[in-house]
Formats: sequence, C-alpha cells, structure tokens
Amino acid sequence: MAHVIRSICIVGGGTAGWLAAGIIAARHRSQDGQPAMGQGVQITLIESDTIGTIGVGEGTWPTMRTTLKKMGVSETDFFRECNTSFKQGAKFARWVTGDPTDFYYHPLVLPEGFPSLDLASAWMEYSAKREDAPSFSNAVSYQEAVCELGLAPKLITSPEYAGVANYAYHLDAGRFVTFIRDHCVNRLGVHHVVDDVTRVVRSETGDIAYLETSKSGRLDGDLFIDCSGFRSLLLGETMGVPFVDCSDVLFIDRALAVQVPYAAENTDIVPHTVSTAQKHGWIWDIGLQSRRGVGYVFSSSHTTADAALGELQAYIGEQHRALQPREIKIHAGHRQTFWKGNCVAVGLAGGFLEPLEASALVLIELSADMIGGMLPATCEMMHILAKRFNETTQYRWDRIIDFLKLHYILSKREDSRFWIDNRDPASIPDSLKDQIELWRYRAPGDQDFTSNAEMFPAASYQYVLFGMGFRMVTSHQQPQRPAGAIEQAFARNESLKVKWTKTLPNNRTLINKIKEFGLQKI
Amino acid sequence: MRLVELSRAEHSGLRIDSHLAEAAAAKQHLIPIVASEFRKAATQYPIVFAKSPETGRFAAFVLNGLQPQENLFWSGTKLDTAYVPLNIRRGPFFVGTGESSGGANDNVLCIDVESPCLSAAGQKSIVDPDGSDSQYLREILAILRELLDGQEPTSSLINTALSLDLLCPIVLDIVLEDGKPLQVEGLYSIDEARFRALGKEQVEMLWNERLMEPIYSVIISTGQIFNLVRLRNEREALSRAWRDTGK
Repeated sequence: MAHVIRSICIVGGGTAGWLAAGIIAARHRSQDGQPAMGQGVQITLIESDTIGTIGVGEGTWPTMRTTLKKMGVSETDFFRECNTSFKQGAKFARWVTGDPTDFYYHPLVLPEGFPSLDLASAWMEYSAKREDAPSFSNAVSYQEAVCELGLAPKLITSPEYAGVANYAYHLDAGRFVTFIRDHCVNRLGVHHVVDDVTRVVRSETGDIAYLETSKSGRLDGDLFIDCSGFRSLLLGETMGVPFVDCSDVLFIDRALAVQVPYAAENTDIVPHTVSTAQKHGWIWDIGLQSRRGVGYVFSSSHTTADAALGELQAYIGEQHRALQPREIKIHAGHRQTFWKGNCVAVGLAGGFLEPLEASALVLIELSADMIGGMLPATCEMMHILAKRFNETTQYRWDRIIDFLKLHYILSKREDSRFWIDNRDPASIPDSLKDQIELWRYRAPGDQDFTSNAEMFPAASYQYVLFGMGFRMVTSHQQPQRPAGAIEQAFARNESLKVKWTKTLPNNRTLINKIKEFGLQKI
Repeated sequence: MRLVELSRAEHSGLRIDSHLAEAAAAKQHLIPIVASEFRKAATQYPIVFAKSPETGRFAAFVLNGLQPQENLFWSGTKLDTAYVPLNIRRGPFFVGTGESSGGANDNVLCIDVESPCLSAAGQKSIVDPDGSDSQYLREILAILRELLDGQEPTSSLINTALSLDLLCPIVLDIVLEDGKPLQVEGLYSIDEARFRALGKEQVEMLWNERLMEPIYSVIISTGQIFNLVRLRNEREALSRAWRDTGK
C-alpha cells in the first residue's frame, strides 16, 4: 500500500521556515483554507523561542510578488506591516574603476524589445563611435531614469502586485517573519509548535522517523524540511550531508550590519538597492520606510574587522557614532546535496552566498515552490523527487555563483589584493570562463540559458556585462532585420522614459498613500 | 475656480444662468454620481466605476464619452440627455467644510464666484425680494443634500461589491464605422457571471441592504455603451461630411 506524503514537518521559524510553510500550504489548501479530511497536506512548523533568527536578508526579487499573491497576502497589508518599500533593481557604485562617479544599473525592466531584438549589439557599435553615448541600461530601459529621480514603480491606481515598471521589495526581515507566520497560522492552517528539538530520531532506513521535543512530545512527519539556518540541524548534523565551500570563488566571509535612521520622517526612500564597492568588499544600502539597512560585506583574509569598520563608518558619515554594527560570519557555499532521504533543506540550512544579487529569499521561494509542486507523491517515490530537486537546486546555485563572480571579474579596480585576487583565473569557474569567451562575439541571449530552472535572464547578464564596460567584437554581426526595428526600439525607450518620469510618483509619497488609502485588488 | 461661503445678504444681487451649469460637463467623459441616481442614470448612460488618481479608491460615474475629455452628449449649448447628473445640476454651488462656524466638519454652502453661470442676464437669484430663499436655491439645497446623503450608501455599495469580488475591469475594444480602433481603459463594472454565482446568503444580504436595485441598474446600463458608440459614429460621420464638402 502506497504511503502518500501527508504530513510535513518544518524545523525553524525564520524567513525560510515560514515562507516555505506558506508557499506549500497555499498550494495544497482547500477552498476554506483548511486541508480537507484525507486530502492535502498538514504542515507543522516547530520553532525555538531560545534561538534567534539571522534576520538580515532584506532584498527580494520580483518573484516575491507572485509568491505573496499566491499565498493570499494583501500587498497593502504587506506595506503596512513589514516596513516595506519598492526595489527596482540595483545600482552598483564604484565597482568598475572605483571613481566616485563610477556607477551602473541592473534594473528589473528588461531591455526594450528583449529578447526578440538584440539592442546590446547595436548599442555596442554606437557607443564605440560616440563618447557621449548613454549608458547601456539607460539606452535600453527607462528604469534607471525612474530610479535616479527617486520615483516609485507604480501608481496608486495600479492594482495590488501590478506595476508600471517591474519591481521587487525591500523589507524588514524581522517583521516579515511575524507577518507571514500570522498569515500561515490564521489563514493557511499551518500548525505552530514553539519548542526546542532535543533529538532527531532516525529509522532503520536512515530516514528521519520523528523529532523529540522538550515539552511537546514527539513530532512525526513524512517529509522534514530543514530551515534551521546555518546550523543545518537535520540535513547537515543528522543526515551528515557535507558542506561544499565556495570561498575559493567568492571571498566574502564577514558582514558588519547596521540600521541607519533617516534624518527626517519625510526623507526620500531610494527605490533601489545601492551596492557600493569598497577596498575589500562592498556595502549594501537598502531603504525601508523608517530606516536604512546598511552593511559591509568583506573578506577577512584581505582586511581586518577594524579596518572594515572604518570604511563602513566613513560610508555612513557622522551618524555612525550612535550606531553599533553587528558582525555576522558568512560561509560561502552550500550542502553537497539538498535533499537526502526524507529531509530537504531550504534557506541557510542549504547554503549561503553574499547578498550581492539578493539570491537568498528567491532561492527559498523557488525551493518551496518546487517541493509544493512535487506533491501529491508517495514516500516510496521520494528518492525520485530528491534526485530532481538536487539536480535543479545544484544548477541554481551554480548559476548564482557564476553570476556573482561575474561582477568581480569585470572590475578594473587595482586598489587591493581583494580585487586583483578576484580576477585570478584559478578563482573563476570554468562554466563562467566559457560563457565569457562566447560573449566576446555576441550578446548574452536565451540560447545561453536553456534550463527551465534558470535564475537570471540573459538580460541580467547584459546589464552587468555592458554596465561594467565589457567590450564585444561587433564586426562579424549580421545586419539587424527588419530595418528600423532597432532604431524604433531605442526611440520607444526614450518616449517611455519621458512618459514615466513625468507620471510616476515619488517613492515615499506613494508608499505613504498605500498605507493611508490601500491598493485595490483589481 | 474660487469658492467662497455663500452669504444670503452679500450675494442677494447675484444673477445666475442655470443652463450654463451644463457647460461644465462639456469636456468630462466621467461624471460622478451617487447610488440614488443609478436608476435614472441607467436610462441614459453606462454606469461605471473608476479609481481616483489621488487615492486609488473607487467611485461611481456615468460615462459620457469614449476617451478622456469627450462628452458625446454635449451639443455645444447643452447636454442632450433626459437625465443630467446632480453633480452638474448643482451649478456653481459646492459644499465646503467650514472653519468659520467652529466645528471642522461642518458643511458650508459655497459658490464659485468665477463660474461662467454668474451672469447679469441670468434668470435665477438665490433670494426672493422678501429675503427668503428662492425656489431655485431650495432646489439646489435639495440636490446638494442628496449628494451628501448619497456618499455613504455609494461607498457602501462599492465596498460590498469589492468584498464580494463583483467588480471587474472592463476594456472597451471598439472599432468605429470608419475602421478606427478605440480602447477605453481604467473602467470597472459589475461582473455579471460572478453576481449570478452568488450564494443564497449573499443574495439575501444584498436584498436586505437594498443593493439589488443599484447592482441591476449597473448591469443593465452597460448596454448604453452602444449608444455612446452610435453617438461617436454620428459625430465622426458629421465631421467627415464637413471635411468632404469643404474640398
């Protein structure tokens, strides 16, 4: 008799645990929100009230819009409860030459006409001839102009989760956990246990049989999801899956994080993440409603914590005197496999990379969505699910690592060993070296990214490559057809730029309006 | 526009041409209405919902044209329709919230002293020779009263429709007789299929809250869009004929 997977036990009540619970529960709930008798899955989440959460990840991808919508969360409530603000991509400052004026954008709006038109090659030819050519992102997308003016990506009349320009969020991780937890418990029927896991008991097959807790007795489950954070209690400690270190590729291993209050209540909220390269790493700067989240991630083998603190203080300015940064150790890397037996890791328990492209939350969303999408299934077929999950997840980690490394190898900074070592060919994955070779003759396109588990669209590679001054040989390019299509696309972008920079509201003004009036669902 | 509080003493000499009030609608494709008007409005216009550009909140309107600033009922001198909405008929009068009389929420009758309706040749005045309110002013006060009293039921209707998931965006995808395509966006109506699928309890609630009549008015009124298309086609034909004879 086949044993259908009915009960899922999640260990850990941080962002990963509650997001996973919400995503899977929303996929398998019946109409009234409760799993019907004999159908669906029952989800139990156990969290300790003695272990804190890391609570840093504050940048999302646009995927979070769909994730929250599917969970039945109101975007208005999300703005009211989580200190939420809009994120329209990232501005990378001082990454190329290190000059104060050096910056480029990785916006979320795709290049005009992408992917059927290749504006990248046309821009490359034009910019080779003209000194005054606009930056790549400015030439092909209107979002940089919107960001530079501090505007929001939508209007108060835009429905929830719909935008004029593509957008993601900045959020307060601590408040977000509480918000999602309440939704999971009250609306999605997730069973919540506050207790400590005292022992993980395995069966003869090596699977996890049950958890022993200090007050709540034993917790059973067909599938156990490890969301225990860096500790990796189930997958790492119990199942013995080793950690694969990536610090030979990505050197960052420390973070100094701090919360910086605004000068005034109505100070503008920057509508994108700002990442400013430093001597031995980079500083993230994320504007929420009531404060900024700022942090310096650096390589401890290239500098000392004291020197890094000095750089962070110089970035923050006079305000730093009242602030006490928190130091977080980062181990760049991931588990060798992500699903073993009846245990799968989601979030930090599966691995972590520096937050350069906000990959932490999106990986949680994708992993949980994949687990949810694999059900219904039986325990007997779990090894097939595990194999698929591992292949896809490994692929995703590899692509993220490649994409993060791309930012470093294109830098021309010479001001420290950190930047020079980052360009050492021995530190660059072969997959990335191969791609770079191909892109010397043609722009990144969908032909380079053929998996349905792709992380970054080819457009993202274009924004980073050409934003960082990568030069492509264009003399072998075929002329573009149909004639005029390229010029029309550039012109369309210019008129969109005029239209939206005139129409879109100031970022804080819109956020205040959302809090006051709410967004409509339709 | 410059609103001042109406004073029966100070403004007793004002002469008002109430017909000119309709000119204010000449370039409005959306005119706000309240729930008590739905039944009458439905005989002339499509009743639609649209969001305020300031707050994003829904309000009810009659649709007068197929693009912004177009009013197909405006003949050049008047609105050629059997029902003129209260918001037009109230002429140059408005309700302001007063500071003068103490309480911040007090409603104050105001007049737009820059309105084109104020004209020495006007037939109407606000007070009779004996100093009492004129019949005209009493009508205006009744209109303003109905508009004020209508705010709460109208937003309650909208909120109920939203909570029952009954509002849906409508995109008018029109091809005019001369082949010109026309798209009208940003308008919402009642989704008839969802309305019909409501459960017994919800229907009973709508009945008890007296919301059935306005909802049916909205549903029936959507057919008036054909009338707008007809008026627009006539207008286009007229301007074509005008151009052709000019040649």
